[in-house]
Amino acid sequence: MSTLKRAFLYTMRKKTKTLILFLVLVTISTFILTGLSIYKAADDSALSLRQSVGGSIRLELDKSNNKNWRYQQAAGGMLVEYVGTPITDRDIQKIMSIDGVKAYNGIGDGDVYAKDFDFISGISFGAEIDDSRLPSVTNSEYFNFFTRKAFQLVEGRHIKEDDDHVVLISSAIAEKNNLKLGDTITVQCCFDNGDYPDVKLKVVGIYKYKGDTNPFHTTSTDKRNRLIIDHKAMQEIMQRDVIQYDNGVDFYVDDPREMEKIASQIKALDLNWDSFTLTMDNSAYEAVASPLTAMQNLIVWLIVGCVAVSVGILILILSMWIKQRRHETGILLSVGISKSRIILQYTVEVLMIAIVAFGLSFFTSNLISQGVSDLIFHQVSESQPLPEIELPDDGTEYLDITGQYIPYDTSNVETLESVQVTVSPDYLLYIYIFGTLLIAFSVSAASISVIQMKPKKILSQMS
Amino acid sequence: MSIMEIRNIRYSYDDKRNVLKNVNAELEAGKMYAILGASGCGKTTLLSLLGGLDSPQSGQILYNGEDIEKTGFAAHRKNHVAFIFQSYNLIDYLTPRENVALTSKVPPMPVLERMGLTEEESRRNVLKLSGGQQQRVAIARALASDASVILADEPTGNLDEDTAVGITNILKECAHQMGKCVIIVTHSNDLAKQADVVFRLKKGELQQI
Repeated sequence: MSTLKRAFLYTMRKKTKTLILFLVLVTISTFILTGLSIYKAADDSALSLRQSVGGSIRLELDKSNNKNWRYQQAAGGMLVEYVGTPITDRDIQKIMSIDGVKAYNGIGDGDVYAKDFDFISGISFGAEIDDSRLPSVTNSEYFNFFTRKAFQLVEGRHIKEDDDHVVLISSAIAEKNNLKLGDTITVQCCFDNGDYPDVKLKVVGIYKYKGDTNPFHTTSTDKRNRLIIDHKAMQEIMQRDVIQYDNGVDFYVDDPREMEKIASQIKALDLNWDSFTLTMDNSAYEAVASPLTAMQNLIVWLIVGCVAVSVGILILILSMWIKQRRHETGILLSVGISKSRIILQYTVEVLMIAIVAFGLSFFTSNLISQGVSDLIFHQVSESQPLPEIELPDDGTEYLDITGQYIPYDTSNVETLESVQVTVSPDYLLYIYIFGTLLIAFSVSAASISVIQMKPKKILSQMS
Repeated sequence: MSIMEIRNIRYSYDDKRNVLKNVNAELEAGKMYAILGASGCGKTTLLSLLGGLDSPQSGQILYNGEDIEKTGFAAHRKNHVAFIFQSYNLIDYLTPRENVALTSKVPPMPVLERMGLTEEESRRNVLKLSGGQQQRVAIARALASDASVILADEPTGNLDEDTAVGITNILKECAHQMGKCVIIVTHSNDLAKQADVVFRLKKGELQQI
């Protein structure tokens, strides 16, 4: 009689044992399959969250190195001029060639008067004309006011790299001046040491400012007065020969987890590091992903615990049963069936039950995984409030071009309410592979005490 | 020509007291042997050594002139010997047919019928048979295995007198008609009288009576 047939007859005729083992295996595989599915779902959610929230690395002029700056007394006050190495497009292209860097946004800086429209007037300390600083951007979608949700585009489109003389204005400016998409506004640089031309800018987008509107702003510091323009327009306004990235360049990465690696790759590039500094910002991702990370850590421990307990339970049950089967083991040995064949029979018996049990666990896991995931996620979320955003050392990431702090509005961050769990047949395959190994190990471990004995000892014990 | 030979066997459980010392015997096919002895004298141990269930401290067991330790105990058990135990030792989740089929590729029913089991009895669980029927199944399993040596440990010990006589006759048939070497370990003089050769195991030594 073949080993397979003996195993089959045993499982069919020892119904109570088969049923007990079946229930144990269904329970074990359901827990492990559920754990794997939740872990994978959390991983997928974290990935999509990472991709949607992103992270950035800022290359900027080193403000702490005095050698890079020249201070001159001018008519209107102190004139500060950068004399270090500028960030060039070549530098940007070097960084963009690194794997994992998906986009960049260079930020220029200027100061203008409104020639044919009015700013929102703030507190005035004299009779001066309203002016406001304006940033130039490579891609306004990645401008930190937008990425931090302080600005939200409500009409039109974002500024792209190849735009020429376009502007994004706030809804407050648009309303006050009755401006709409396609209209043109005229600005002039308000620096008092040059002869600057009037520059016309076409309105291509209108944003809404979602931050504070306290009445203590000056015209220049009121963020509703920000005119976000392209670099070509800035060149003409400021009468510059080349594009200047006065406020640095933000590089956006595909996966914030890779930021440190990418930052070290950037650091290794041949750039003038006496003039530049590099800062990382993945705080947005850290903030929204912390419940997921905590959940994944918890699930890993649950899976490890479940596997350890499962192995323990299986070995215990099988040890007990195999000891009870000494009689049979002795008989099989006495008729010339080898020990390896006997262990194989015991393994096949458990595997036969496991094949059905694992299959059933696919359905039971489907039934409970979402509920278990929601339960764990809510428990973890409650114990993991959104963390405070850590400021980088110099805090410049969070300063706008006027030097004001940009609050990170976590209320606007797209947080996860739950993790959508699906039990994939792929995971079931893992369960079959892993389960087979687990069973082989458990049966072998459980058989040691009996199999190590000489046949005569087994037979003498049974008689 | 002997089919099995015992050469200078010594066996002890704890290396202090020899259960078997310098045991020698030659066993031939077509004969029924009985080994008599008091309880605990080492009869079952000797049978275990002949069957390759255990190995002696010194000496050799030869099957057709070859040392069974060298040919392998498992192979010896599988190919050359068949056991019949006092407690039948049938696999409890199998039917008589399946128990016989454990060691044999030949159809089990003719052997079982020869042992007096009906078709219906052959399909029952073995635990639902009487003691005599179970021992017949055990003998059928031994015969169907095609082993040339049958080792029987108190085969009639648990049976009533009539059944015991029946089983003894079957074992004699195995030896005389089927040409097998049947070695019975017993403390029953009645059973021993049916054997062609009787040995007595006393103080670790085997003496032919």
